[in-house]
Amino acid sequence: MRFFYAFFKKTYLTVMKMKNWSPAALLGLILLITIVMITAIGPFFLPNNPYMVNMAERLSSPSLTYPFGTDHMGRCIFSRIVIGSQATLGITVLVITTVILIGIPIGLVSGYIGGRLDSIVMRMADGLIALPEFILAIAIAGFLGPSLTNLMISVVLVKWISYTRVVRGIVLSEREKEYVLAARVGGCPTWKIITRHLLPQIISPVLVLATLDVGKVILIISSLSFLGLGAQPPAPEWGAMLSDGRPYFQTIPELMIYPGMAIIIVVLSCNLIGESLRDKLDSKSI
Amino acid sequence: MSILNADEMMVTEADQAKLRSELGFDQPVYVQYGKWMYGLFKLDLGTSYMSGKPVWNEMMERLPITFQLTTGVLLVMVSISLPLGIISARFPRKWPDQISRLLALIGASIPSFWLGLMLIYLFALKLQILPSNGMGSFAQMILPCFTLGFSLAAVYARLIRAGLIESFSKDYIQAGRARGVKEWRILWFHAFRAALLPVITVFGLSMGSLLGGAVVIENIFSWPGLGNMAVDAIFNRDYPVIQGYVLLTGVFVVVVNLLVDLSYYLIDPRIKQGKEGSN
Amino acid sequence: MTTLVDFSRKPTNEPVKGEFLLQSLPLLEIKNLSISSFGTKKKEDIKLVKNINLSIKPGEMLGLVGESGSGKSLTACALLGLLPKSLKVTEGQIKFHGRELINLSEKDMRRLRGNEIAYIFQNYQGSFTPFIKIGKQLIEALRSHQKISKQDAKKKALLWLERVKLPANQVFSSYPHQLSGGQLQRAALAAALMFQPLLIVADEPTTALDVLTSETILDLLVDLQKEYNCAVLLISHNLNHVLKRTDSIAVMYGGQIVEKGLTNEIRKNPFHPYTKLLLQARPVLSRVVPEKLVVIPGEPGLVAKEGCAFAHRCPKSFIKCSILPKMKSVGDSHWIACHAKDSEADDTNASSKKCF
Repeated sequence: MRFFYAFFKKTYLTVMKMKNWSPAALLGLILLITIVMITAIGPFFLPNNPYMVNMAERLSSPSLTYPFGTDHMGRCIFSRIVIGSQATLGITVLVITTVILIGIPIGLVSGYIGGRLDSIVMRMADGLIALPEFILAIAIAGFLGPSLTNLMISVVLVKWISYTRVVRGIVLSEREKEYVLAARVGGCPTWKIITRHLLPQIISPVLVLATLDVGKVILIISSLSFLGLGAQPPAPEWGAMLSDGRPYFQTIPELMIYPGMAIIIVVLSCNLIGESLRDKLDSKSI
Repeated sequence: MSILNADEMMVTEADQAKLRSELGFDQPVYVQYGKWMYGLFKLDLGTSYMSGKPVWNEMMERLPITFQLTTGVLLVMVSISLPLGIISARFPRKWPDQISRLLALIGASIPSFWLGLMLIYLFALKLQILPSNGMGSFAQMILPCFTLGFSLAAVYARLIRAGLIESFSKDYIQAGRARGVKEWRILWFHAFRAALLPVITVFGLSMGSLLGGAVVIENIFSWPGLGNMAVDAIFNRDYPVIQGYVLLTGVFVVVVNLLVDLSYYLIDPRIKQGKEGSN
Repeated sequence: MTTLVDFSRKPTNEPVKGEFLLQSLPLLEIKNLSISSFGTKKKEDIKLVKNINLSIKPGEMLGLVGESGSGKSLTACALLGLLPKSLKVTEGQIKFHGRELINLSEKDMRRLRGNEIAYIFQNYQGSFTPFIKIGKQLIEALRSHQKISKQDAKKKALLWLERVKLPANQVFSSYPHQLSGGQLQRAALAAALMFQPLLIVADEPTTALDVLTSETILDLLVDLQKEYNCAVLLISHNLNHVLKRTDSIAVMYGGQIVEKGLTNEIRKNPFHPYTKLLLQARPVLSRVVPEKLVVIPGEPGLVAKEGCAFAHRCPKSFIKCSILPKMKSVGDSHWIACHAKDSEADDTNASSKKCF
């Protein structure tokens, strides 16, 4: 809890110092806030029911009733994109949070205590590094079977290790410093050293890593969904929408352009913010 | 691993048992594993459930196709990232630099499958100047290689820029200039070498995203390569093929990273063999 | 205009150095040179070198002394056109061998560098690119100025490595990190002298070396300089080296030259308070253990923004020091920029009031 409080405080403080932000980062921030707003309140103002199949008006071009046209089942693309943002962003946030929750404690403990746990973790890390992230995610999602939950599990399994590595690296260098030594000499219990003294050191790097990862995770999720390993129809997820639209895109490219643009805008805004955060917080470990 | 979702099919108990023993699923897991490892020594990775062909042969058939794709991608990558990186290092914060920064951001933000399909739409359907799928000819290579090459090139252009700016600030560059060495020689023989170190490190690490990208690109452009094989195998739950594919990519990535470590020594003689090159 | 400099004709071993020194035209003439740093918005930020005048005659060894940050190295970099991009020459002229260097094209400048003006760096590790063998770098340098075959270039490089008293073959095929600091600096000396340049700029060539090695390197430099009669601009903050070896000295403080003249003159009669203090602060090896070395008051690098740069630290400063003093002659080939000298003169002439 304490960590989350510190995490959000740091995020809040960084956002508040906005006058020092580059225009690019500001653009990213505004875009992201807009998208989050749309995700939050958009579903109450949908022009059409995103799930309603209307075969009479399938593959129609943009009109007043259907701002972005309809897909191969006659569903409103605009409504599906707005609803789909919940799925895409929700999954991404969930994945990143889970990854942080798994990666940080393991990294902290493995870095500070070391020993057998550390060597097991590091061997696992070596093994995971040898296998390409995306291919591993495909393989795991394939083994578990195509579904949104399995997709999330596979991405989490692939991603946690990079957080553990970063956290472990920082802890390894911090634990030798005098202030940790002083705390130990002062009789501070191990768990308190980890939570009070080491945890604050890893907030900024993890913050940067997480913002940059949001884009990557969205790309992995949509790629896997595109290959058919993620959200199953009729769920409106952007990657799955692209996959659905693929057979028809030669005649109606709008089926692919709009969901694709949605992905690009979200990923771009996250990357804009992540890059300037990295420059600002000067985390060279990433 | 030994879950075969065959329950829905109309099969008798006897059929199931027969298939189980044929595939070796009636034996304990460690026996299965031992057999698989033993087969590995003879390059026998089992046979595909779907095609009935040995996995090794299947992979070797498809390897050249993926190899062709990745080579093309690397060529595109180098020919975009090198000039872009050098120009932006020579004029930092000027417009070429800003453009390459923008391209890098866009390259990192566009899903490659989407870019591929958009390029197909533009060049194959609207302009009709390039074929949209299939492989073999040079023209058929352009779109797939560019699609994947572009998103990777952007990252490398930034790396080359950062590396060059760093090495241009070194004293020995100034010393070379003071001896009157020509500027292009300074760039290629003196500055570029040091800039190459981070580039090849990332190259080794991003080998995975290259292969992963190849999966999607092969799927879009219908190239019968390894990636396509893997996706088909996943949908068909063809486990020997999936195992073989994961093993092959793992070995490949490890070998590439080994070569990267060795090349550190070639690039910078100060890094002695035996000593740890990088961490 | 085009053939002001004849590349084939370089001054060879000219006899009678002293007279030559006094009579001949200067090889290098720096007139009124100013260098400023520029901020992000192309606004002139800080004037780092302020209206410097210097001249070096062929075969002369000029010592440029002053504490770090006084603009010595910047002046040398400006000579070679190697100033960092954020710094620019704002006014003045640099005339070298009859040519104006400041607006010279990059191509001509490159031809000049190494060939006619050689540069020896303070940081010996930075003299050679770390992942190329010394020999290869020497050949590269030779071949970028002269059209000679690789074999001939190798011969020449080996010859010069021998001339700087190095085991030529071994050094030729070594990487820079395999050599000691002294060896590297010798190799750098070979690389500089190889072209028999008209001028060598030695930018604190010995600060990174130990005392004995630096003595031998400087001796070598002096020997070779005499042999080939090239001029040397020796930048140093080690007064002993400079006093021992140079023909004349220029003292810099805060981007200005405060005193210049023949070395003997300055050693005997330093006028500027800064020079005086510098000379007193120098440990002299004698039988008597000195009580305490003189310390120059104030913080090093404290530069007055207007007027005489040394004013804040000068024991003799007075009101007039807020006006920039002009260079004026105080004897045979001896100039200073200090108001205190005037007031001394005033004292003797009219016993006027003293101001502090």
